[in-house]
Amino acid sequence: MHILQHLNRYLVKKLKQLTIQIHSLGSKMKKGFLNLFQDFRFGDIYVKLSLLFMGIGFFRRHQIIKGILFSILQIGFILFLIFTGIPNLSKYNTLGTIQFESVYNPITRRNEVNDYDHSFKILLYGLISIIVIFTYVYIHLKNIQTQRKLQLLEEKGVHINTFKEDLIELKDNRFHVTLLTFPVSGIIFFTIIPLLFMILVAFTNYDQLHMPPTKLFTWVGFRNFEILLTTGSNTVTFGYAFRKVLTWTLTWAFFATFLNYIGGIVLALLINSKYTKVPKLWRTIFVITIAVPQFVSLLLVRHFFADQGIMNTLLSADIPFLNDYSWIDFIRQMGLIKANREFVPFLTDPVWSKVMLILINCWIGFPYVMLITTGVLMNIPKDLYESAEIDGANKFQLFAKITMPYMLFVTAPYLITNFVHNLNNFNVIYLLTSTRVTSNQLLANANASDTDLLVTWLFKLTQDYYNYKMASVIGIMMFLLSAIFTLLAFNYTIKSNKEDRFQ
Amino acid sequence: MKKLFSLMLVLISVFGLAACQPKEEALEEVSLTVWASELDQTLMQTMIESFKEAYKDEAIFTITLGAVSEATAKDQVLNDIEAAADVFAFADDQINELYVAGALQEVQENTAEVIAANGGAEAGAIKAATKNGKLYAYPMTADNGYFLFYDKSVYSENDVKTLDGILAKAQADGSKFTMQINNGWYLYSFFAGAGLQLTYNGTVNSANWNNATGVKVTESIIRMATHPGYINLNDAGFVSGVKDGSVSAGVNGVWNATEAQNKWGANYAATKLPTYTLDGQQVQMSSFAGYKLMGVNALTLQPYWAMKLAEWFTNEDNQILRFQERGLGPSNVNAANSTEVKASPAISALAQQGAFATVQNVGGNYWSPTETFGNMIVNAELTLQGNIQEALNIMVQGIVAQPIG
Repeated sequence: MHILQHLNRYLVKKLKQLTIQIHSLGSKMKKGFLNLFQDFRFGDIYVKLSLLFMGIGFFRRHQIIKGILFSILQIGFILFLIFTGIPNLSKYNTLGTIQFESVYNPITRRNEVNDYDHSFKILLYGLISIIVIFTYVYIHLKNIQTQRKLQLLEEKGVHINTFKEDLIELKDNRFHVTLLTFPVSGIIFFTIIPLLFMILVAFTNYDQLHMPPTKLFTWVGFRNFEILLTTGSNTVTFGYAFRKVLTWTLTWAFFATFLNYIGGIVLALLINSKYTKVPKLWRTIFVITIAVPQFVSLLLVRHFFADQGIMNTLLSADIPFLNDYSWIDFIRQMGLIKANREFVPFLTDPVWSKVMLILINCWIGFPYVMLITTGVLMNIPKDLYESAEIDGANKFQLFAKITMPYMLFVTAPYLITNFVHNLNNFNVIYLLTSTRVTSNQLLANANASDTDLLVTWLFKLTQDYYNYKMASVIGIMMFLLSAIFTLLAFNYTIKSNKEDRFQ
Repeated sequence: MKKLFSLMLVLISVFGLAACQPKEEALEEVSLTVWASELDQTLMQTMIESFKEAYKDEAIFTITLGAVSEATAKDQVLNDIEAAADVFAFADDQINELYVAGALQEVQENTAEVIAANGGAEAGAIKAATKNGKLYAYPMTADNGYFLFYDKSVYSENDVKTLDGILAKAQADGSKFTMQINNGWYLYSFFAGAGLQLTYNGTVNSANWNNATGVKVTESIIRMATHPGYINLNDAGFVSGVKDGSVSAGVNGVWNATEAQNKWGANYAATKLPTYTLDGQQVQMSSFAGYKLMGVNALTLQPYWAMKLAEWFTNEDNQILRFQERGLGPSNVNAANSTEVKASPAISALAQQGAFATVQNVGGNYWSPTETFGNMIVNAELTLQGNIQEALNIMVQGIVAQPIG
């Protein structure tokens, strides 16, 4: 209860901060436009004309190259609007209406194809057009301010930079601009545009029955979200499957992260202990699991634990000194497998497979945590331990009061990123259980399985069923989930005022 | 400056005149890409060479061959139809999805001849390649169905006529009979054998498997699944079971014929599926007839030559070549009737089963629900005492569901 109250108070505080931020952003924008208006009003004719012709002011102030460059930019933008922007944006409300038609002409031996609409391209180019238009408008307005500044400089008789001097500026005073241009444009093209595109797809009916280029797709509003979040839709059990998969995703991420973490620390402590002989040997042995590609080791493990795999063959042997009583008989009598089973369904039974997945993930994950924590452990000031021992603390107290808090503080960012990584841990789940068949009919009707994480479910939906619209909706959910956990956890753990606690 | 200008004028006029000269009759340059199974690469290359040779007077060909399994061709093609090969091989269960996505070019060259060569419009191979009364692919093989393999040293010809006979003998022998029931492909045999319906209209399936007969059919399946002579094994399990001797009979397809033949030698035999006991009566198991087809990409820039090439890959000579090199059963009537082909036990077993087989025409929502239904039986989560009716209802609900959304 206490934690919930705490969380509640925290959220309220954050919300208040957010509203204040939005307010200040609003007033900032207002101020910006006001400034712009002032600049325009008091500017000379060149400043005013630069609303129509971007480069004109530069020509007046003898910045010929800049003038040419900005004119080219403006012409380029107009051409872009004519050839890409307007054709695509004019169809943006429907995403195209003319369907692909192709007629084979036996005389020319060619297919005669009509001038069809390509919904996918309309959606993508339309999105790019919107981004280009906003960027251009911003540059265009900003340019008016620049012209006004140039006018003032000229009036005061201050030296105006030549193009060469501008370039030199980029190397010195404005070096951050030079450095950041490339990565920022990379992020826009490879992260932001695909992300926005995916979000848009979630509001369309882009699926197997509506695949460009031969078919069209169109907007459907929030219908896909409705399908995912409500149960009892007449046809499929998507809402049910979503809740099931989400629960398992969170459970999995929790266990996969924290078991690994604790196990890794214990392993590191064991290896670092002064009683351990040849610690380097042990460390190397564990690091070997990292050296083998996960892809290889996981597929091997899958065969190892298959229903007719090596592990089951070993278990079907008799227990030493007992006739006709195998390990499997023993497991059956323990009630861990059903009476009719001849094998242990390690990766095929819902409960068994979930436990096995977490355990196998530990085997893969321990060494990483061990490596990271070994370094941190060596950095804990020895005097802390010594003074605690003088005060009569036992081994466990040392661990709980000094080692763990120190570790948690230093490795918290790692822990958080690891949790988010585990939410989307595709490899382990998919490589080990992609072939498993569920016995849950409601899950099966939504093409999901018991061990599916949101990400593997998404993969199946796109890869096997071409259900891009639902995959996009799930993608948005995954994004929200990751974002929420990251923000909460970072805000909670990494507060700068805590830093001095360990000094 | 003036000199340069006049030089340019001269150059332009020379080129202009050259353009007016009557050209030599140049051969059309055709470049095509082909996707076929990685197991067929050498064979396909031979066929491509013979195709180039046959049409060398009409065009110059650049044909690129890529390895894409017939089982996953659909995934590769639908990922990006525009980037997919001009001609590709695929299994007939993918034709619905390819057709719905508009990825297949209708066969419009020599259509009548292609249909006739494969046994006419009513033949299974043609039906499997036909959508809305139009032919959309070229039948390549007719062996993608399943039938019964058995070891003659364990079973007599009489034993393999009924499922009960097989199970009893297997139990007595201490070995197993296998037929994968957590797989909609095989599960179909029981329901269709009992005369239950499963149809697909291009968007949704319809099925009546949850009626009173369906409950009886399920009971028969459960009885088989709980019989000591039975084991549920997937494709890989069948192979390893045959190899280690634990499996003495099983339902599987041509692709595993060599494995069975190698193990059982002279005792290797194959025949149609057995009958099973439904409510005290013997009912013949049905099956999906499977075909492999050659399709032409609807977005190809060379539809004529792509069709010609697909036809070439699937003509009589090349089907016989495919049988000789790879042991794959022909769909072409003449090729199938050759003595050589008829001598193969697996192919003739398929032919026997052909009388009870139906062309696989099901929508994507069929597979998951049936797989899970079978799995419930395998895991003994659905027993004779259990609520069979409810499980059938949910399964049918899943099968007939609208494609999600």
